[in-house]
Amino acid sequence: MATSVLLACGLNEQKLPGFVHISEESNVDGSFLISCILGQRLRISNAGTLIVCLQHHYQHYFNAGMRLGYNTNIFQGKTLGVIDVLSDMAGEGLTSKWLRRPDGQTLTEQLVEDIRVQVESNYSSRNSYTVLIDNLSILFNLGATKLQVQQFCQDLAALAKERDNLTVITKLSNSDIYQLTDNNVAKLGQVRIQVLRLKSGVFREVDGKLLIERVLDEGNYACEETRKEVLYKVNDRNVKVFTPGEIGVKV
Amino acid sequence: MLSNLVVTKQKVVLVIDELNRERIAPKFIGSLLHEQGQGADTIKAMPAGIHLKHVASFNALVTECANYNNVNNNNNSSIQSVEAGDLDAPASKTTGYNVILPTLADLLCYQSPAFIFGFLNRLRRSEYVRRVFLWASPQHLQHPHAAYILAGCEYLAELVLRLETDTRLSLISRKPGGGVTNRRYACQVSKTQFEVTPLDGGGGSLSPAAGSPNKQATPEVEQTPEPASSTFKIELDEDEVVARNALTLPYERTSEPSEGNIIYTPDADDDFDEEDPDEDLCI
Repeated sequence: MATSVLLACGLNEQKLPGFVHISEESNVDGSFLISCILGQRLRISNAGTLIVCLQHHYQHYFNAGMRLGYNTNIFQGKTLGVIDVLSDMAGEGLTSKWLRRPDGQTLTEQLVEDIRVQVESNYSSRNSYTVLIDNLSILFNLGATKLQVQQFCQDLAALAKERDNLTVITKLSNSDIYQLTDNNVAKLGQVRIQVLRLKSGVFREVDGKLLIERVLDEGNYACEETRKEVLYKVNDRNVKVFTPGEIGVKV
Repeated sequence: MLSNLVVTKQKVVLVIDELNRERIAPKFIGSLLHEQGQGADTIKAMPAGIHLKHVASFNALVTECANYNNVNNNNNSSIQSVEAGDLDAPASKTTGYNVILPTLADLLCYQSPAFIFGFLNRLRRSEYVRRVFLWASPQHLQHPHAAYILAGCEYLAELVLRLETDTRLSLISRKPGGGVTNRRYACQVSKTQFEVTPLDGGGGSLSPAAGSPNKQATPEVEQTPEPASSTFKIELDEDEVVARNALTLPYERTSEPSEGNIIYTPDADDDFDEEDPDEDLCI
């Protein structure tokens, strides 16, 4: 269903890099990557996963998972933890803790605290643990400043460094105005996946392009990096990838 | 090598990186220092990330530098005194730390520009700090006044290294006397080496070590005392010394001892008779 795209991104391994960042360009949607990664992590036995729902609520990931061939409800409360900020806000209104800001804490500080609590209670009993955050740019809509978002990511990166088998995966829609924040988050990790639109316009058989940058080795004066480009097409029940040039206009 | 140009007597060094190498900034600066023989015990790198939230981390760095140097000086002086058998022997000269600061983007993430400038100035004035290195990548600075802050850092820095492209860099050096030099270099970067060659004859006044890319790294103490940014070339190479010694100056020529010969150049009208040389005397 989604193996090929994860293989292209190098995220099909059991052990993932400590920090992975997905940059989403304006006018493209990279949410399918989060659903693909979520499905892959849930299939690994005794691998814990925490999803922080900011762009969509939990039900969206359940529906997407059913289309991609996995049921998140089976795992919820066992290997899958959920922080559903949007549903909390919708259900509890202004009494929601995300809007009340107890103890003068900012939204991002509360989120870090909740993530830490979840990690500390589950990490020791799991072989590996993955924190998925979709999507950082929603924090701006909820009143967080650019600096707060950057500090939030620094905290998450520190969390990933503290533990061996912990991976943090973030996604940010830069919307062509958060490019600097995007760069600052990407530098915290070894893998950056950029979801880009086609420069030549819109094409029926391809939705966009994935640019995967991975740091292999950090030298004294330069980094050894790999860059890979693949085209993708999100279908109803799967995601297909193509190498550039493979698909063309058929006359 | 780049380290010959950057690790000099200038105290505050600012690296402006246009190439997105921020993730390896501490390693980059550490390697420059190691190439110049600066031991790990003289390098103090400030931890990045959430530690920068607390002002105490900044104060701790300054205090640590001062304490370590004091302890070191006391130890050195006592050792020297014991060895020399003289209780009044002076303390050894303080060497000071090479302080590697977190990147400017990380600093601005947690602290205000005023605090950063104040801290930078504090380090600059500290006698326990030999050099301060600050790394700034414009493409990571998201402060609304990022350009102004970067200009402020350039103002405080005595040496500004700008990594322009993969093959070009420039170096602005400010000397205590007020002289400023701006030179451009071509560079060749690999994972473990950073070689530079001057462009536009800009390296004419550099010491040979600074200009030659293949020259091995030499410890700072063995370098020529002439700063790399001088506009004069005082040293002579071997050929020049030989040429200078071989040259006889006019005043030396006149003072050379010679026999008392009369040198006479005959005129065209002279009728010189060898048998009677005194014919023209009318005796």
